[in-house]
Amino acid sequence: MESWLEFAKGPLFRLTFAIMLLGLIRIFMLDIWGIYKAYRKAGDKNMPWKLVLSRGLEWFFPVNRVARNRPFYSTFSTLFHIGLLVVPIFLYAHVKQWEKSIGISWITLPFDWAYWLTISTIVFAIALLMGRMFNKSSSFLSRKQDYLWPILLLIPFITGFVCAHLNVNPTYYQFFMLMHVLSGNLIFILIPFTKIAHCVLMPLSQVVCTIAWKFPPETDEAVCSTLNKKGAAV
Amino acid sequence: MNTTVITDEEKQKAFKSLRKPETIEKQKLDVRYHIEDFDVSERPRRFLEAFAAILKHSNYKMALDHFIRMSAKCSRCATTCQVYQATGDLKDIPCYRSELLLSVYRRHFTIGGLIKGRLLGSGYLTDDKIQEMADSFWNCTACKRCSLECPSGIDHALITHLGRYILSEIGIAPRALVVSTREQLEGATKNTSAIPVPALKDTLEFLEDDMFEEKSVRIKFPIDVEDTEYVFFPAVSDFLMEAESLMGIAAVFTATGDSWTTGTGYFDGINYGLFYSDRMLERVVKKVDEETKRLRGKNILIGECGHASRSAKYFIPTYCGGKDAPLVINIMEYTYMVWKEGKLKFNPNIVTEKVAYHDPCNIARQRWIIDKPRELLKAFCKNYVEMTPSGENNICCGGGGGTVSIDELRTYRTTVGGKLKADQIRKSGCEILVAPCANCKKQLRELVEDQGIACEVVGLHDLIYKAIIFDDSLIEKEEAKSESLPKEN
Repeated sequence: MESWLEFAKGPLFRLTFAIMLLGLIRIFMLDIWGIYKAYRKAGDKNMPWKLVLSRGLEWFFPVNRVARNRPFYSTFSTLFHIGLLVVPIFLYAHVKQWEKSIGISWITLPFDWAYWLTISTIVFAIALLMGRMFNKSSSFLSRKQDYLWPILLLIPFITGFVCAHLNVNPTYYQFFMLMHVLSGNLIFILIPFTKIAHCVLMPLSQVVCTIAWKFPPETDEAVCSTLNKKGAAV
Repeated sequence: MNTTVITDEEKQKAFKSLRKPETIEKQKLDVRYHIEDFDVSERPRRFLEAFAAILKHSNYKMALDHFIRMSAKCSRCATTCQVYQATGDLKDIPCYRSELLLSVYRRHFTIGGLIKGRLLGSGYLTDDKIQEMADSFWNCTACKRCSLECPSGIDHALITHLGRYILSEIGIAPRALVVSTREQLEGATKNTSAIPVPALKDTLEFLEDDMFEEKSVRIKFPIDVEDTEYVFFPAVSDFLMEAESLMGIAAVFTATGDSWTTGTGYFDGINYGLFYSDRMLERVVKKVDEETKRLRGKNILIGECGHASRSAKYFIPTYCGGKDAPLVINIMEYTYMVWKEGKLKFNPNIVTEKVAYHDPCNIARQRWIIDKPRELLKAFCKNYVEMTPSGENNICCGGGGGTVSIDELRTYRTTVGGKLKADQIRKSGCEILVAPCANCKKQLRELVEDQGIACEVVGLHDLIYKAIIFDDSLIEKEEAKSESLPKEN
């Protein structure tokens, strides 16, 4: 199992991380390219940047929005996202791995913070899953991936917590650690191809929505010509 | 805002179709709005052809790609959709409505969808899906409130707008809108209300006489004057139904002395293209620009109408020259500007009733005009109250997205679409509701009538007409007035 773990932490991690990185760069660049092309085609190039920025920022710091509708679900979701980002990036053990591998390190979470943030992320993930299952409108809209994602995200958090904070015997430790690393790797692969792509696309949403309403000029004639409707009555 | 779902009895009434069963059978489409006869063969193929043509010549593809990559299906939009809040029908959740079209896009216009479809041999667009879209897209009031609430930033109103556009290309569009637009673009009268120019002139002359009698001021509606500062395009229905709004606007111009005119070549601000077809939107917008150029006017002035203002402000630059296009302003902006410059005076005690202001979605949702009309109202209304939520988060009147002009949808609009608004009006206790939009005014009047709310719905300039104080130099003496008034037999 040790060699499996080494493989999962080493080459497999590098491969999956690269897939995630390249996949996210790809979709981000596709979005940027789409925006650029649309902007060039648009008849009106005047962009309300202040509005775009303020609406975008509202969702990065969603205090007002959270309180207004479904406050519990929205608060849980916000706190869940904080834990989801902060723990993997700033956990001491993760930063040390990066330092060992590429020689770069950054600030780390104090032990207590990591402990409570991990627990809160697990709790909020379960709460969100419950919300999705039992809220009428959420469950109606949900696809398979909407249920699977919270479950998948729970695995590295639970296994990581077990390894870091519970005294388990070495065999179990290695098993949990292998599950931790493999689930993390699976998450990396899936991110660019599923809704989690929002982690890089969300900042572009307001720009996309604004430019989408900026139509190209002379589309009437072009569409008519393509559909053989030239000269047709209204 | 909390609300309760309407009763089954109300639902039955609201969704009752007024169409003849034989027409439904003939057109193979069971929707609640009337449609002109159209080719019913191979609808899915023709839908996809239209979709492809529109994608090719528009910017929608970029948005659809973005939306399908990140839609989280969180259902937050359900909490603000007034249609869903009233019906409680899960199929009225904006995200579900959007998915109707997004799934077609994913299946037929993405590589992944095409491969998956081929492998599984499934997911083809069907007549049933078209039926569902034709129904669902016209349940929406296009208020765009859901778009503010989506954490992923998905613009559900854009998807509904596109869905309606594609459907219209295969002949599925409300007859009321199509017929009006046809008259506007190809008819003899060139306006959606089919008002002939002589009738327009008669109406305006009559209003001028009326105003002179009331105010002793020669308030004019200049017609076909060239080289003016503003060329005026109200919702043309105002000439028939909103005389007081027009009188208020004319009074403001008389007080300021600025030059303005209405053109007889084209005088309709209404643009139903915004609701069902970008092609029609473009054609109508160009008419406005052509008339402005014919009269060598400097700026385009839109009357009290939300969708007319939005279609001119956002699409005149699109279709008529970008940065070089004429400036578009809404009459509320103009009135506010001249009031701030000290050119307007109001009687501060003239309106004593409890007054509230309704934000038209097409004006407030993009944070365009929110505070200005409120400041104006507070200058002459002693008892102004605010409805909550308001401004960019306002609740739609329930007749948005063109539905107000579809008479067969009245019960739907006043029972489902406008339910949340009716609750809000009741809660505010206002006696006068100011709605600076022709569509909102019509819908709100029907809403208060059908819901039994004691409240008068007026335009902003209706009250300005009451409150305005003219300079003494403009007021004619009684003797002169009696000489100049038409003599009755």
